[in-house]
Amino acid sequence: MVLEFKDIRKSFGEKKVLKGINLVAEGGSAFGLLGRNGAGKTTSIRILMNVFPPNSGEVLFDGKPINYKNVTFGYLPEERGLYAKKKIIDQLIFFAELKGMNRSEAISAIDYWLDRLQVSEYRNKKLDTLSKGNQQKVQLVTALVHDPDIIILDEPFSGLDPVNAMLLKDVVNEEIHKGKIVLFSSHQMNYIEEFCHSIAIINGGEIVVSGDLNEIKRRYPRNRLIVRSQMNDRILRDYEPKAELKENGELFLTLDSPEEKGEVIRHLADNYDIDEVKVFEPSLNDIFVEYTKDRI
Amino acid sequence: MKQFKTVLKFELKGYFKNKIFLGTTMLFMVLIIGAMFLPQIAGYFKNNDSESGEKEVILVTSEDGELSQVLLSTLRQSLSGYEIISTDESGEEIGEKVQSGEVWGGIVFTSPTDYKYYVDNLSMYDSNTEVIDEALKNMRQIDAMIESGISQEEVEEILSVKSNHEVINMGKDQMQNFFYTYIMIFALYMVIMLYGQMVASNVATEKSSRAMELLVTSVSPTSMMFGKVIASCLAGFVQLFSIFGTAFICFSINKASWEGNMIITSMFGIPADLLVYMMIFFILGFFIYAFLYGAIGSTATRLEDINTTSTPLTLLFVGAFLVVMLSMSSGNVDNIAMKICSFVPFTSPMAMFTRIAMSTVPFYQILLSIVVLIASTVGVGFLSARIYRAGVLMYGNPPKLGTIIKAVFKS
Repeated sequence: MVLEFKDIRKSFGEKKVLKGINLVAEGGSAFGLLGRNGAGKTTSIRILMNVFPPNSGEVLFDGKPINYKNVTFGYLPEERGLYAKKKIIDQLIFFAELKGMNRSEAISAIDYWLDRLQVSEYRNKKLDTLSKGNQQKVQLVTALVHDPDIIILDEPFSGLDPVNAMLLKDVVNEEIHKGKIVLFSSHQMNYIEEFCHSIAIINGGEIVVSGDLNEIKRRYPRNRLIVRSQMNDRILRDYEPKAELKENGELFLTLDSPEEKGEVIRHLADNYDIDEVKVFEPSLNDIFVEYTKDRI
Repeated sequence: MKQFKTVLKFELKGYFKNKIFLGTTMLFMVLIIGAMFLPQIAGYFKNNDSESGEKEVILVTSEDGELSQVLLSTLRQSLSGYEIISTDESGEEIGEKVQSGEVWGGIVFTSPTDYKYYVDNLSMYDSNTEVIDEALKNMRQIDAMIESGISQEEVEEILSVKSNHEVINMGKDQMQNFFYTYIMIFALYMVIMLYGQMVASNVATEKSSRAMELLVTSVSPTSMMFGKVIASCLAGFVQLFSIFGTAFICFSINKASWEGNMIITSMFGIPADLLVYMMIFFILGFFIYAFLYGAIGSTATRLEDINTTSTPLTLLFVGAFLVVMLSMSSGNVDNIAMKICSFVPFTSPMAMFTRIAMSTVPFYQILLSIVVLIASTVGVGFLSARIYRAGVLMYGNPPKLGTIIKAVFKS
């Protein structure tokens, strides 16, 4: 399964929200859709789910224009909320039936997922009697219950405690291994780094960077070393002005060119008591800030 | 279609599980049962009274001391429900007795034609004075005729002359139709207001709880809108049928007790063809407003916004209601305003039905009105589904009409 956005453009009135979005997400891996607030992520997701059509461009599924009758979506919106005053089982059946399941299929799938997400005890309770985290898990059931081809999770980890976050990670990994396309949108970069093979950063309605996350990281010059040692003072003195001490106690060595790396590492290992030396790679957070801080 | 059914089922279930919905329906049913059994209950009390006690006493006296036997027997005849006792007591004494409850009432003649009527509490239904006046008038007329030399037999003959009349009504009996038309118009008004607001707040709740975020990606706005509106219509009908059905059953049981009551018997004597028109206009009227209320609900971000946004629609509806009500009570339901209103989709359910019920409308006009109404209801249905699609994703202040129209045509 391959999902592709081809030059998607969308305006609301005078405001151009999407100015030509291109991206490719493959089955069996997670895709991270990043962007600052108001960058156009939700609009892209809504176009993908056919809430409204784009002004131009198209969404392709396996190379052909997507057929919404055959492709199923599971969606966890960023703005959460179901029917507060209705019984959980009733509303889950409703949403499952809307996705085309019949009642008995729906009930057994719902019971499986409620159990999997450890909220089956609330099956017959009203939604507003649950805590926020549990409400979120119930809502997650609506996104997974009908075994969709494409799963879209918008900020899935916000509001979950570490144990629940772990549970969700396991569930997401299972879905990825089933070969599904999982689209992630989040501001919690650590989760994106953990799951997503590919990413795209939207800024001001345009994709500013996209592709394999490791490749993106490798594009950065590999001339910086991070050193952990008990002899910081000596190294600092010897490598002046290339060395810089960070607040966390690590030393940062900026070399003139990446080729010097081997020589410098050897020199450090031979002359000082070194705990760890590694080549600096920017975190996703660094990349994100770099690409989005100026414009929106 | 499948999604539409799912929405319909879910919404219906919502209504029938709603405690307020069930409670008000039950309450109305109990009230109706109570009202329909009223004559029996009242009769029960009345019978008790007459069985247990003697007749109430009315004292009669004359200030000049003369009280003819003819007068007394006339009074006894006219006020057969009371025991008439002649007395010599003065008006004051009688007054005291009446006040103390010793006797029920008193009549004190100050002259052959004038009298004072004493009573403790004048009941709303007390028609004794009219009865006495009539009897006295009769007596005086007979006396006068006999005095002028007409024989007893001739007097009786003169007085027994009666005129007869027969009404040949070529149209509708407004008096008879007034009540069920009134009830139908009022029921339509209440139901549309109530359910319209319910549909609107239902949509607005989905929006404010953000369940809409998920709904909008799961179901087409047309299925959503039609499912909701038709579910509310069905719920409304179940409610109305329960209430009117109860009324009808209770009426059938108590038919005998209601025989003398023209209002009630005419209400249940509604002709079948009118009932069919009532259903047609009721359903269509319900739909056209419910769709618009649904669309209005979709433009509100919070529940509180609905009141402001729905004001124009509510005013339109109240306006139509007033035109119809005023025309009904003026007796002229074929005035120019009613004629126009009976073809305009938003007012025709009430106006055309009133005209059919209380006047004679050519069939082609009825048909035209129904066709216009059906076409506009379908049109409004799809339009409101489009407003819904555009509206549900707008958050913030309630949008202006222009913004909505723009959004509808852009989407």
